[in-house]
Amino acid sequence: MQAIVQFENVTKAYGQAVAVADLNLSIEAGKFVTLLGPSGCGKSTTLRMLGGFEIPNSGRILLAGQDVTRLPPNKRNVNIVFQDYALFPHMNVARNIAFGLELKGLTSDAIHKRVMELLALVQLQDYAGRMPSELSGGQRQRVALMRALAPDPQVLLLDEPLSALDAKLRQQMQIELKAIQERTGKTFLFVTHDQEEALTMSDQIVVMNNGRVEQMGDPHTLYSRPESVFVANFIGEANLLRAKVVGADVQGTALTWNGKQVGAAASAHSAKPGDSMIMVVRPEAIQFATGGDTSNAFAGKIRQRVFKGNHTSMMIEVGDGTRINALVHQGETEALSGDDVWLSWKPQAATVIRDEAAAG
Amino acid sequence: MGKFFFADSPRTALTMAYWAFVLYLLLPLTLMMAMSFKNADFIAFPVGDWTFDWYVKVMQDRQFLDACIYSVFIAAATTIAASTLGVWIAMLIASTEGRWGAVLFALACLPAVVPGMISAISLRIFISTIDMPTGTLAIILGHTVHAVPFVVVMALTRLRSMPVNLVDAARDLGADSIVAFFRVTLPYLGPAIGGGMIFCILLSIDDFVRTFFLGGYRPTLPMLIFAKVQGGMSPEINAMATLVLIVTAAVGLYAEYYTRRSRSR
Repeated sequence: MQAIVQFENVTKAYGQAVAVADLNLSIEAGKFVTLLGPSGCGKSTTLRMLGGFEIPNSGRILLAGQDVTRLPPNKRNVNIVFQDYALFPHMNVARNIAFGLELKGLTSDAIHKRVMELLALVQLQDYAGRMPSELSGGQRQRVALMRALAPDPQVLLLDEPLSALDAKLRQQMQIELKAIQERTGKTFLFVTHDQEEALTMSDQIVVMNNGRVEQMGDPHTLYSRPESVFVANFIGEANLLRAKVVGADVQGTALTWNGKQVGAAASAHSAKPGDSMIMVVRPEAIQFATGGDTSNAFAGKIRQRVFKGNHTSMMIEVGDGTRINALVHQGETEALSGDDVWLSWKPQAATVIRDEAAAG
Repeated sequence: MGKFFFADSPRTALTMAYWAFVLYLLLPLTLMMAMSFKNADFIAFPVGDWTFDWYVKVMQDRQFLDACIYSVFIAAATTIAASTLGVWIAMLIASTEGRWGAVLFALACLPAVVPGMISAISLRIFISTIDMPTGTLAIILGHTVHAVPFVVVMALTRLRSMPVNLVDAARDLGADSIVAFFRVTLPYLGPAIGGGMIFCILLSIDDFVRTFFLGGYRPTLPMLIFAKVQGGMSPEINAMATLVLIVTAAVGLYAEYYTRRSRSR
């Protein structure tokens, strides 16, 4: 693995407010990497530091091995797609895209060729002479993307570029962005607060909270093996069940919950029998057992049943009063609100995380 | 008809007040213009015989043409100096946060509210203190000080509506701050600077008090007209005034059209 971007112990504070705290992050070349987190988590500050618009209070930022921590934006080979696109209103589409190329000192023939090549990539060849005000939101978005790609940056930074688009167009652009990333082979560093957007496009997701990295991994790992309550809640929905450890080995962990023994795929080697841990079970992993009172099934009553079209979401109250959310697909169960049911889940669908409240 | 007329009396009153104002504004001007066609050496109503002779005379008047050229030259110099300074100051104010920005803004606007007479006298005392002769340069300096606030206000209004990210985007794409200013900020300010420049031209051409105190022997247009009026009213003065009125009105209206058109883009 070759790291194109490295943050080494980077801290950025505005007066008393710490935006990014002791960040260590390394980003692999050629990947679509997303910084995901709620507003104020430090993701945009991280992006702006890499772009050169903020200078860290301490730490180093390396771009392809070179220290760029204090280099001004025009001296570093990264480009940003801004949230509001920031197209130059007095220049037409072609001149907008050519801006970075002209400053690199390319000949006008080379610039023209590159601009047309980029416009062809997003099917906007016929729009070269249009002014930004004459374009739709999606077209502006594409022009902003091409303008940032034009100077051939080592890393392309995208600062919530899809947030201004409506839901349908946003989904379309997610697919298109991913396709452009794959076609160009560029490293994309994408910032968003939308977990669905992150899951759709990313090779790697960096979940940030309070200026720190909570967890980093591919979308599948983050979803199925969250390592903190924050990540479990932020990405998708989760049932968080407090359980007691019976034993743990490299295969997984055995726990007791509601008087029965259950398994979880993640291993908690440091846990001792009797420790409290949080078991994470996704709503779609909940199954309705038909066998009745088996060793790993829990009795519950359906309190709420909401039809959502392609699935039905249910809220079930089990013995000790815990409420569990389940997502069932058509034909899986006929159970109605008020019915008594038996719930279970496969051990490989459950994971455990440290119980921070119990650990103190 | 009657019902319509009295149904909405406040509105009727407002409309009538407006037309009374227009009449009061236009009647003297019309009278002045009408007199410029009078075929006599004195001014009196009615016009009687009509003639273009006064215009022919004015156009052949070397003094008048010379004063025109001098006024235009001073206006041009004032405009260049005031718009450069004004944009510069507006940029400084826009990038200064908090109380300091407000102080800078108040200082920059001061010349617009200081009474012309006070400003003229103080400038006159100042230039004689530093041993600067009265004349062209002194007039340009006086006019520039007066015109700067108008450029500042117009440029600042436009700057405040400018998306912050535009300059960031230019910097990001490889422009240093100077290139970013000339290729992004300045074109964005274009319509505002254009409007401000027209303001400068009109203020400078129109200025009498500052020119009177700071000027040398060569008269600007308002000074020439003033001198002629002192020698007695004649339709020739009306012809001059009419020409000045037409030109300034045309420039003003064009400026309005120009700023409107570029703002709608």
